[in-house]
Parts: sequence; structure tokens; C-alpha cells
Amino acid sequence: MSMEMVWLVLMGLVLGGYFVLGGYDYGTQMLYPLIGRDERGRRVVRAALGPFFFGNEVWLIAFAGVLFGAFPRLEGTLISGLYPLFLLLLLGLVVGKAAVQLRSRARNAQVWDVLIVAGGLIAAVGWGLVVGVLLHGVPYGTDGVVTLGWSDVVNPFVVMSGVSNVLLLGGHGAVFLTLRGSGDIVERARRLARPLLLGAIAAVALTTALSGGTAVTRPTVAFILVAALVVALTIAVLLVARNRSGWAFAATSLAALLPVPLVGAGMYPYFLTSGEGGLTVSQGAADHTTLMTLLPFGLVLVPVIAVYQAWSWWLFRGRVGPTTPTYF
Amino acid sequence: MDVVDLARLQFAGTTSIHWLFVILTLGLVPLVAITHTAAVLSRDQERKAKLLRATRFWGQLYVVNYALGIVTGLVMEFQFGLGWSGLGKVAGNVIGAPIALETLIAFFAESTFLGMWIFGWGRLRPALHATLIWLVALTAYASAYFILVANGFMQHPVGHEMRDGIAYLTDLGAVMTNPSALLALAHVTVAALMTGAMFVAGVSAYRYLKGDREFFRGWLRWGTVAGAVLSIAVYEVGALQYPLLGRTQPSKLAAAEGGGFVALAHDVMVYLGYTINTITAIAAILVFFRWAVRWVAWLTVVIVPLPFVASLGGWLFREVGRQPWVVYGELTVDQAVSHVSTATMWTSLIAFMAVLLALAIANWWLIVRFVRRGPDGVHIGQEEQWA
Repeated sequence: MSMEMVWLVLMGLVLGGYFVLGGYDYGTQMLYPLIGRDERGRRVVRAALGPFFFGNEVWLIAFAGVLFGAFPRLEGTLISGLYPLFLLLLLGLVVGKAAVQLRSRARNAQVWDVLIVAGGLIAAVGWGLVVGVLLHGVPYGTDGVVTLGWSDVVNPFVVMSGVSNVLLLGGHGAVFLTLRGSGDIVERARRLARPLLLGAIAAVALTTALSGGTAVTRPTVAFILVAALVVALTIAVLLVARNRSGWAFAATSLAALLPVPLVGAGMYPYFLTSGEGGLTVSQGAADHTTLMTLLPFGLVLVPVIAVYQAWSWWLFRGRVGPTTPTYF
Repeated sequence: MDVVDLARLQFAGTTSIHWLFVILTLGLVPLVAITHTAAVLSRDQERKAKLLRATRFWGQLYVVNYALGIVTGLVMEFQFGLGWSGLGKVAGNVIGAPIALETLIAFFAESTFLGMWIFGWGRLRPALHATLIWLVALTAYASAYFILVANGFMQHPVGHEMRDGIAYLTDLGAVMTNPSALLALAHVTVAALMTGAMFVAGVSAYRYLKGDREFFRGWLRWGTVAGAVLSIAVYEVGALQYPLLGRTQPSKLAAAEGGGFVALAHDVMVYLGYTINTITAIAAILVFFRWAVRWVAWLTVVIVPLPFVASLGGWLFREVGRQPWVVYGELTVDQAVSHVSTATMWTSLIAFMAVLLALAIANWWLIVRFVRRGPDGVHIGQEEQWA
């Protein structure tokens, strides 16, 4: 395996970790007023996010860091090329994160509740759109600059990618709450999980049906990954019906993660392409010396991070209730 | 204004607001760690209870600041890609490495362990619990180091060679021991500790004036004395950078004396520094001998913002002083700026500034609220929060 491939996989793991962990945060935020019907219930939903809220977000920051370190030429082109989408995402993330933490201390509870939901929704839509835009194909100029137009975002395939991600992360968040909540929270989350997951399956199928003319370079690989996504969601529906919350969460986690290899492998050898020409993985990567120098750190640290985060989940495992601490 | 001006303003604005959170985080976390450790080690039950109460009080203020600061860090991490795509393309082989290492080595551990520390009260063994906050403190300073390595390269590029307009890493050791980074780290470290000490002194003085004398008298004394001593260190360590500037960035040194914005930023830092030196020294002496304590207490409250303003002056001097370079002598802002329209840049500038300013205001509003409630109103470490 070439050095670029090792880093592509490591970066994919970090981004995948973020999609799974940040994903249930956003799903939970979107469902927050539906599942937390009264003040007490809403408090439980916020407490469910509890000790992992910072740790989940760091996966995104680490993705940006690894992107800059290992694929610096991609970093500038991707983020500045998709500027409006990343602007929207960052604003959604900042507002949502701040709202979840400040809500307990705030006077105008309703305003903060709206911000919590809006933050989750914007993040879920935003990442769906980013994945959709990349798969659909970005206008990659001969000068190596990407300039996004309206038609690159507002088209059926990309919009359906956004919708798919909202339903997928909604289902993921609902399953998370069946695992983490208590009392009537669990019951409401379970009732919501089923339609959300079924909706996600339908949305993914429709998006796939619209995928003619996209910039996917390896359609077979892409179809296998999409099929795996649909299977994972279907299994999650069945497991939720049987009250197997832990395994259902594993299934929705896999579903939330699969868009990462879908972009990485489905577009290979390109990162950014309009269908013909574009920025390849090796063009986007840092120089061999840099990748080599960073490699020991990447190979050691990513597993170490996974271990201490797992330790944190283990220590704070179990269901949360009305007396579980929240932020502030 | 053109795109370059807007991108610079956006970077300056997001970094400055982010920094106001960072300096307090760095300043408070060692204090929380030391106090928590002293509490865990203490055998005298009364003393232990008092120290734990202090840990939770200072820890609460620290956590508020960290929790809202972390989201400003999220915006920061994307600023290079948003506004300065040329930086990654030209210097990414070198500058990307410390950024990547920062996230993987430091930031990950800091956030994870802080989450565990906040929610670990009454759940974790005391020794483990106190160890977590030390890990948070260590990784916070490790973060500062890696970020300053990246910044140091932009000030004084070392450990690389330029081939066809692209920087290639040749010596990671040189990049990691760049004197521009190490001297700045030392200066920033003592400045942050001084800011923390002055914050503790100001908060303690306020509580003291509100009648909470028994608990806060010691903290007031400690804060003023530490602030006075550290403010001398900030000056001494900061001055060590002038000879380096003379060798590596003579134009910046000249700009510091040339009038204009750079000189103004430099003077804000230096003269506020002198002011802090003088006031904290007088306050420390008066508090120590218990003279005019009420008067000193008010003064101590009023000067809490000064180190924040002074440090912003320092950063503006360091960053604006190297214009027009992004990477000194090798990449200009005009070359590095992203291909983004002016309208897009205006939109993001206004949106980021509005959200980040709101966060900074919310942060200080919340800090003031927790200070007014005092140690009895602390939220972290409480068991039954829902009555």
C-alpha cells in the first residue's frame, strides 16, 4: 500500500469516527423537542449527550488537522471551493454546540431549543450536501480552482443526498436515545426510529436512482457501498423492533459511516472531479517526506485515541435520567 | 475592501476572539489542577473540603470558558482552508505537520479528558479524577506549542527547502525547535498564567467585597502576588524576542518604532504591560500588609480586562508586523488568498463575527453570573441538580 493510501485510510477513519459520533449528536439535536416533550424530558435528552459532546466534535477538528497535514493541496481547494457549504456547516455547528451547553442556564428556553434543533439540522443537511456535491462532481477549473455554482448544489441528486443524511442521522440519533435515555424517552425514541430509518432507506434508494451522470469513477464499488448502507439500515429497523438497542446502534453507526468510503473509494483515484480530470489523491497529498515523518504518529495515535475514547464511553455508559448532570 | 483585506480581517477577527478564550483557559487550568491535587492529597478533612470547594468554583469558571471556546476553535481550524487556500498549496508540506500533530496529540486528549473530568465528580476515584485534569492541562499547553510551531514557521521559515515554488520539509527537528516558536511559547505561557492570576485576584476581590471574606482572602492575596511576579516575567521573556526579530524580521522591528498600526499595537502591549506591572506590584504589597484592602480590591476587579487587551496588542504586532507575508519572505497574502468572491467573503466575515462575538459575550455573561453566585452556586460536581 502506498503512503498516500495509508493516509487516505487514516483520514477516512477519523472522518468516519466524526460521522458516527457527531452524527448521533446532530440526530439527537434534531429530535430533541419531539422526544423531550416537557422540560424534564428535554433535560434528559441534553444529559444524554453528556460527557461525550466535546470528544465527538474533536473528530471533526482532527479530520481538518489530518487533511491539512497529509493532504494540504486538497485542503485549500476543497474547503475554499465549497466555501458556502462549509460556512453554513460551521455556523450550524457553532450555534448548535453553544445552544446545547447554554440552554440549562438560559432564560428564553424556547429560543435556545430552536437553536439546538437548527444546529443539528444544518449540520446534517450540510454534510449530506457536501457528500452529494463531491459525488455529483465539482467544477474543477484548469487553474486548479473549484468555484461552486448554484446548479452544483441545487439539483435533485445533491438535494436528495442532503435529505438522506437528515433522515439517516435522525434515525441514528433516535436509536442512540433508545440506548442512552430512560423512561418514556426510550419509548418515544423507538417509535420515531422506525419511520426515520425507513424514510432514510427510501431517500437513499431515490438518491441512487438519480445518480446517473454523477462523477463517480467506480460505480460498482459505489453500488456495493450503497447496498451495504441500505442493508445496515434495514437490519437497524429489525433490531429496533426487537428492542436490541445496542446492536441497532451498531447498525446505524455503520450506516452513518459508509458515506466516507463511498466518497473515498467511489471517486478513487480522484478527490475532486467533474467527471473528467480533477485533483487526484496523490496530487492532493503532501510530499513523501512529510507523509513518512507523520506516519508513526498517525499509526500510533489514531488507535490510542480510539482506546481512551472507548474508555470514556465505558466509564460513562448506562442510561441517563432526570438527575444526570448536564453542562453548567 | 478587496478579498485580501476581507480575508485578513476575518482571520484576525476569528483568531482574536478565539485567543480571548484560549488565554484564560491556559491561565486557569494549572490552577484548577494544582488545587484539585492539593485537595486529593490533603488529610485534614476540613482543608480537603475547602480545597475541593475551590476546585469546583475555579473549575466551573474554567469549564464555562473552555466549553464556549472549543467551538471558536472549530471555526479557527477551517480558516486556513476557507480564506488562505494558497498556504496549504505552497507551505502545506511543512506547516500542515504541526497542525495535524496538534489535533491528534493534544486537542483530542484535552477534550476527551475534560469531558470525563466535568462529569467525573462522585463517579471516578479521586486520584484518577485529579490525573485527568493534569492531562487536560498538559495537552492544553502542548496545543499551544504545536500552534506556535506552525505560526513560528510563518514568521521565520526553517527546516525546509523551496523547489518550484513549493516548500518541502527537510528537517522536522528544526521546525519543532524554531526559536520564533519557542520564545513565543515562553512569552505566551507566562502571559496566560499572569492573566489567570489576575482573573483569580479580580474574582476573589469581588467576592471579598461582597462579604465572602473568609473563603476568598487567601485567593486574593495569592492572585495579586502571583500576578505581580508573573507580570515581570512576561516583560522579561517578551524582551528576549527583540534580538531574534532583529535577525529574522528586521522590518517588523522597524515598524514597531515607525508609527502607524503596527507601532500602535506594539505600544498597547508594552504600555499596558507597564501599567499591569505597576498596579499589581502596588496591589500585592497593600494586600500583603492588609492596607486599604477595600480600595485595592476594587482596583483589582477593574484591571481584569487589561491582560486580554495587552495580549491582543501583542498578537496584532506579531501578525500585522510581518505584512505583506503569510510565510515570511516566501509567500505573500496576495498569493495565498483563496479564489473567493468579495460578496462571499463579506457574508462569512459578518456571519462569523456576529456568532463569535455573541459567544464571547455569552461567555463573560455566564462567568459573571457564576462569580456572583459564588462557590455555593457552582454547577459541576453537584449530584442532585433537578429538584
